[in-house]
Amino acid sequence: MTKEAEYAIEVESLTKRYGNDLLAVNGISFNVRKGEVFALLGPNGAGKTTTVEIIETIRRPTSGKVHLLGMDVTKEKRNIVPCIGVLPQGFSSFDRITVRETMLYYSRLFGGRNDDIDKLIALVNLEDKAKEQYATLSGGLKQRLGIAIALVNDPKVVFLDEPTTGLDPRARREVWDVLLGLKKEGKTVFLTTHYMEEAELLADTVAIILSGKIIAMGSPAELIESNADYLVLTLQSVDEKAFAVVGGLGFEPEQNNDKALQVRVEHMDDIRKILNAMNDANASFVSMDVRKPNLEQVFLKLTGEALHESAGGEKGAQ
Amino acid sequence: MNFRVVGANLVVSLKCFYRERTAMFFTTMFPILLILVFGAIFMDDDNLHYNLCLQDLDQTETSAEIAKSLASTGKFKIIPVDAGIEATQYVNDTKENLVVVIPKDYENLSAQYLLNGDLNAFATLRYVYDPSSSSVLEKMQLLNLVFATMNQELSAKPPFIRTAQESIHTRKYRFLKFFIPGIIAMAIMTESLFGTVQVNTELRQKGIIRKLSTTPITRTDWILSGILHQIILAVISTTLMLLVSYIVFDVQLSINAWLPLFIVLDVFTFVGIGMILTRLVREAQSASSAANAIMFPMMFLSGSFFPLEMMPDFLQKFAKVLPLYYLNEGLRAAMVFQDNGTALSNASTIGAVAAVVFILGITVTRWEEGK
Repeated sequence: MTKEAEYAIEVESLTKRYGNDLLAVNGISFNVRKGEVFALLGPNGAGKTTTVEIIETIRRPTSGKVHLLGMDVTKEKRNIVPCIGVLPQGFSSFDRITVRETMLYYSRLFGGRNDDIDKLIALVNLEDKAKEQYATLSGGLKQRLGIAIALVNDPKVVFLDEPTTGLDPRARREVWDVLLGLKKEGKTVFLTTHYMEEAELLADTVAIILSGKIIAMGSPAELIESNADYLVLTLQSVDEKAFAVVGGLGFEPEQNNDKALQVRVEHMDDIRKILNAMNDANASFVSMDVRKPNLEQVFLKLTGEALHESAGGEKGAQ
Repeated sequence: MNFRVVGANLVVSLKCFYRERTAMFFTTMFPILLILVFGAIFMDDDNLHYNLCLQDLDQTETSAEIAKSLASTGKFKIIPVDAGIEATQYVNDTKENLVVVIPKDYENLSAQYLLNGDLNAFATLRYVYDPSSSSVLEKMQLLNLVFATMNQELSAKPPFIRTAQESIHTRKYRFLKFFIPGIIAMAIMTESLFGTVQVNTELRQKGIIRKLSTTPITRTDWILSGILHQIILAVISTTLMLLVSYIVFDVQLSINAWLPLFIVLDVFTFVGIGMILTRLVREAQSASSAANAIMFPMMFLSGSFFPLEMMPDFLQKFAKVLPLYYLNEGLRAAMVFQDNGTALSNASTIGAVAAVVFILGITVTRWEEGK
């Protein structure tokens, strides 16, 4: 298999500088295989949107090479545009135009046929809202329409820039369902997000970007495997003695949101030790759970940064 | 350029405009309201007549002739005032600003002058008036003219000095005829400038332009559909204005090939200025303020509402740097005076301005984000 056939996106030493001060993207390189869901994961201001907008041909790189389906993004915009579908960050559309009319409009921009539109409206479950104007839709419905628009030209590569930012958990789930559908169809999807759960659920490959640099890349399982050198033991409904017992063994127990005891240990032996000590001290608990850390914990470990969803987007990197 | 794309964009922009009912109402109705208000004010300009209160203390056939003569001029509607009422009190008590009082011995004095040839005999008609009224002086001047004519007729000699009026224009024109081309030029300016600035800054702010830059629509398609959108609105709005002024005020203006040409030049000029403003101003709100700052001086100083001759010299000179001035002058030359030479010279000037600002507008309009 040739390189062009294997990769949908190839990024080599990509740098983007705004003015003299802000280095938004700092010499990053990565490849996205055809048919995979690739997630660029990072906190606000890390350079995700700048990177994705360079690949989408909206911005021009300061230096480096970016190829999409073998085409240079700085030279072949005209040929690239029909092959990509884009949901930009903070997607918005014409307030007074209905869902169906909006789809028809974008379809015409790509020279598409009308009968495709209804299929796409059905794909994102907007049949009931087809005659409603954009301004009247809720945030989740607007994002779903944005995804449908991104698919209107049957693109080979779909870019979704923070598709669920600002949505409530239910609306987020609805968008994920649509994205899982795309994954099943075998579309190449380039996703940027700062939600770990989203990347873990949807992505085949995750690249973690921080301050314009990629600091880790691999499948979610690989990232967890290679960075998780500890286990998390959770004891539900413990009595108060338990914290003293576990602390007495040299561990650092914490109380989580469900008021359960949570403690990091290195080996299974440590767990046995804790359980024995609990038993000796007559400290009770109802259930226990041992698991490897999730992507969020890996991310926190790697970046040392807490993730906070910010309403303001990543202005610093734009 | 892709006509299918331009068409799709045009349909969407027209639908957006039509469905924003409030904006649509104010855009199309504001010039119409201006025409209705100014039309009502100046409707009787050509056929001005005054109420005239006349108190005849003489109550004779001769004195009654005065009322008949005044009424026959067509300038006065005579309101007789009872001889028993004190004229000063009458002016105070009513809203009338003038009572003309014919003296008690008018018939006798008239006989003395005309029949007996007593040239020392004269009758004094008193004007009892309210000086705070703005129109009363004009009314009295008119009365003086009528009485001077009557005196001259009584002298039984034909007038020696006569006058003849010759307008430099072949047709007589009313103020409304002057006013309406100015309102047409102004309305097109407002819609083109505001439409361009507001729509583009809003779409940019909402990220729609960014989304569009990842579709096959090009900057040329976008600008062309914007121009077509504005031309369609300008044609609709001009047609409405012409219909209202014709139906309500019977204003008949010449509709010739100059009208569509000036409409197109008006649109190109102000869409061009709008595109330049869009580049300079980032926020939609500041964009409206910037558009207002350009529009208001243009509206008041380029002779849209009243003739430039009424303004001081330096303002008249200033008007000549405003593009709207050439549109006003050109449209008036074409629609009121049918003066092709003046229309052509104004069209050439505004055509050059339109070309420069439009090309500049296209050059500065950004489609992709920063390099």
